[in-house]
Amino acid sequence: MPKLNLDRRSLLKAGAASLFMSGLPVSGFTQGKPPGSINVIILEGGMDGLAAVPPIGDPDLMSIRRVLTPDSYQPLNDFFGLHPSLKFFAQLMARGHASAVHATSFPYTKRSHFEGQNLIQGGGLSPFSETSGWLGRALELAGVSGRSLSLDMPLILRGHKDNDNFYPASIRGSKQPAADLVQLIAMGHASDNAQVINQVAKKSEANIKVPRDPASLAKYAGKAIAQADGPVASVILVNSFDTHASQVDDGDADSGRLATQLAVVDDVISGYRQGLGDAWDDAIILTLTEFGRTVAANGTTGTDHGYGSVGLLAGGSLPASRVVADWPGLGKRDQFEKRDLMATIDYRSVCAACVERTLGLDHDLIASQIFHQADLPRVYDAIFA
Amino acid sequence: MHESFRIAQKTGLMFRYDQAMPEDMQGWVVQQLQAESPAIGIANIYSTAEEWPAELQPNLAKRSAMWRQFRQLKKQQREGKNGQDNEAAVQANRKANLLRDTDELKFVHRNVYGADQVKLRLAAFWANHFTIGNTFDTSNMIGHAIDEGIIAKLNGSFADMLYGITTHPGMLTYLDNVWSAGERSEKAKDCNRRIDCHAGLNDNLGRELLELHSVSPAAGYNEDDIHSAAKVLAGWGIDFGEDVARMRKLTGGNNHWDAYKKRWQEPGSKTVMGKRIYAGKKGLRQLTDFLALHEHTIDYIATKLCRHFISNQPSSEEVQAVKQVWRDTNGDLLAIHTKVLDLAIASPEVKFLWPMTWLFQVVRLSGATFFQGWEQRHDYSNDLMRTQKVFKELGQSFWSERQPNGYSDDPAEWMSAEMFERRLRFAHAIYENGRVRRSTSKIMDRIGANPATRQLVASLGMSPRDQFVALMCSPELMGLENA
Repeated sequence: MPKLNLDRRSLLKAGAASLFMSGLPVSGFTQGKPPGSINVIILEGGMDGLAAVPPIGDPDLMSIRRVLTPDSYQPLNDFFGLHPSLKFFAQLMARGHASAVHATSFPYTKRSHFEGQNLIQGGGLSPFSETSGWLGRALELAGVSGRSLSLDMPLILRGHKDNDNFYPASIRGSKQPAADLVQLIAMGHASDNAQVINQVAKKSEANIKVPRDPASLAKYAGKAIAQADGPVASVILVNSFDTHASQVDDGDADSGRLATQLAVVDDVISGYRQGLGDAWDDAIILTLTEFGRTVAANGTTGTDHGYGSVGLLAGGSLPASRVVADWPGLGKRDQFEKRDLMATIDYRSVCAACVERTLGLDHDLIASQIFHQADLPRVYDAIFA
Repeated sequence: MHESFRIAQKTGLMFRYDQAMPEDMQGWVVQQLQAESPAIGIANIYSTAEEWPAELQPNLAKRSAMWRQFRQLKKQQREGKNGQDNEAAVQANRKANLLRDTDELKFVHRNVYGADQVKLRLAAFWANHFTIGNTFDTSNMIGHAIDEGIIAKLNGSFADMLYGITTHPGMLTYLDNVWSAGERSEKAKDCNRRIDCHAGLNDNLGRELLELHSVSPAAGYNEDDIHSAAKVLAGWGIDFGEDVARMRKLTGGNNHWDAYKKRWQEPGSKTVMGKRIYAGKKGLRQLTDFLALHEHTIDYIATKLCRHFISNQPSSEEVQAVKQVWRDTNGDLLAIHTKVLDLAIASPEVKFLWPMTWLFQVVRLSGATFFQGWEQRHDYSNDLMRTQKVFKELGQSFWSERQPNGYSDDPAEWMSAEMFERRLRFAHAIYENGRVRRSTSKIMDRIGANPATRQLVASLGMSPRDQFVALMCSPELMGLENA
């Protein structure tokens, strides 16, 4: 591991919306291709940020979660380490192409997966308040489209009619439906559904063959984004982060269910890197999870639902590698409700910064139109300046 | 669409291509709730429908023994012992001891060949409400939970169903409860004396019991309530592969559906949402009975039933009517279901069909043979996909790895280009490989397809296959638009 040039901890003052703009367009609507691409990896189940990026410099870490902390973590600086499953991510950090934002969360503290998942995708002020997603609204404002690598159209991308999805099929006795058949059937449907059905016709013409694992889908997404007329956003889901039991293997915190899933995330990021090619330079990849997990282990070598977690960021649009955190500490009285990592950074601000950087929208517009919160703090400079 | 088919589409699985039509539809729906529910299926693709053989429907003790055997042979495979270390032995072990393929095929056969279509729709609703995802270690239990925990209890009280499913080994395994021990239990005390032992609470099932299975977050419970529910649950369930002698020692019996490990229980009474729950095994029944008649449970599940069967946005009058029946009958499911179905018939609104429901309806209407017989459940076919694969491609299966909140009733979750493409492809595959027994025009005449649907089919030209695909993917047959 090369020596990294990271601050011990980059402190971030998360105040009111910053007045400072960083040379990006101030208008809400971009013309033509925006400055970059935004790619979201949804980590379903609630990812344990304290295991993915363990705060090894925190004096309380080993006394509280020795059993959950990987032995072979890669040191990032004298305070934070990186889970050994995140090998490619570690290389990116060494090259200044990856960052982490720690002790962060959407402002949701009730620990329900399904409320939390709805909130982090919908980006509204409360669970189930939105019928569209924050990324969908961002793309609608920017007038550009995104693609989900899934069978369904996830909430996060709803809200812009040009957004589409892609997921390879394998059905014996069937072929890719012919475009004219699809178009004729679409004509029999109501107009909003017909619009969706006609996207099938577009795909029929493209005739793409892609394996179905998340890393291959990420590579495909990267390639699509690299094309001149391709989408500028993508969404991939990685499941099974709900590590109530056997989060780590007995006696080996380097392996276990979490280690396996983090390796998938690492492969997805690597897949994006390969697929994006030169488009990597203006891309951002960010993870999104509904909550972190309890600071202490539960009775079944796992962790229960918590609050603060970590966000992993990668892409050439990052100017340098940082661990951005306003570290709350792990002592009992530092914990949220005496059980969870406190969140000191609103992750909506991180999403807003990524939208600002890649879609060229103004922060105040993002805050008010996308997240319905005009005073959402701007953290752009901590990540992108 | 004729009224009889509109009702069957909304509340059932459609009348099979050769089935006689009932005269009194409203009466038929009510009779359906009382129908016998034998597992009907086919032995092979050329045979006629009959009841599934008993030996393919093992009880829990047998299922547990199979799981135990599976794990033993797998261990031998890992250690390279007893000639188990080869692909043939690995496959033989799966076929002999894992029940996923068998159970899933039986569920499909019920839905394709069963004469109890309305009950099966209700069974799907509740199997989804009480989702037991496939975490592999639940392989041998999901089918049993659906048969004995849901279908067998459809006409009882909600309290019985809630208690039954909460204590079913499938649920206790899926949501990690089999490993959860009270923090002050005998087990935890023993463990604390050793360094290689972890024992303590796991709140997974306690949380979902409140959030998903009963009162929902609208009830405003807090973290202490969840923790207390987990304490009530501590001790329930045991590893499905545990040997019989040890199970007897830990639970005092050999019944997996009533397995309570006293030494793992949390001593003392608990309070959940203001309700005092006594210590010991009987505490759980006290808790589920309290939850089953809680006003928030009634509101949450009555609304969910209305949204599943009546319309995407049921009126408050409709929901109130179902809630009132729930209160008046102390949660009698037969009465509740009767009310929901009456309202579904009375409402002109359409419901966009779930992919699996749509697939069953397409197969029944056309008389296709799209699934293998039980004798063929492990065979490869050039034409017919394995059941598991069909549902994986369709994006919906009760045997998939999935989250405990189950599948949504929101049409937005099911409308995307890829989702629609799958329906086109399956209609195509059913026509190509499923030996359909009725022509598209015959099917349209029988169901009374509306003029828009006929026009759509006509626009496809002369290809019988394209006409079939167009009919099955029309707004009318997908439950998207009114006739």
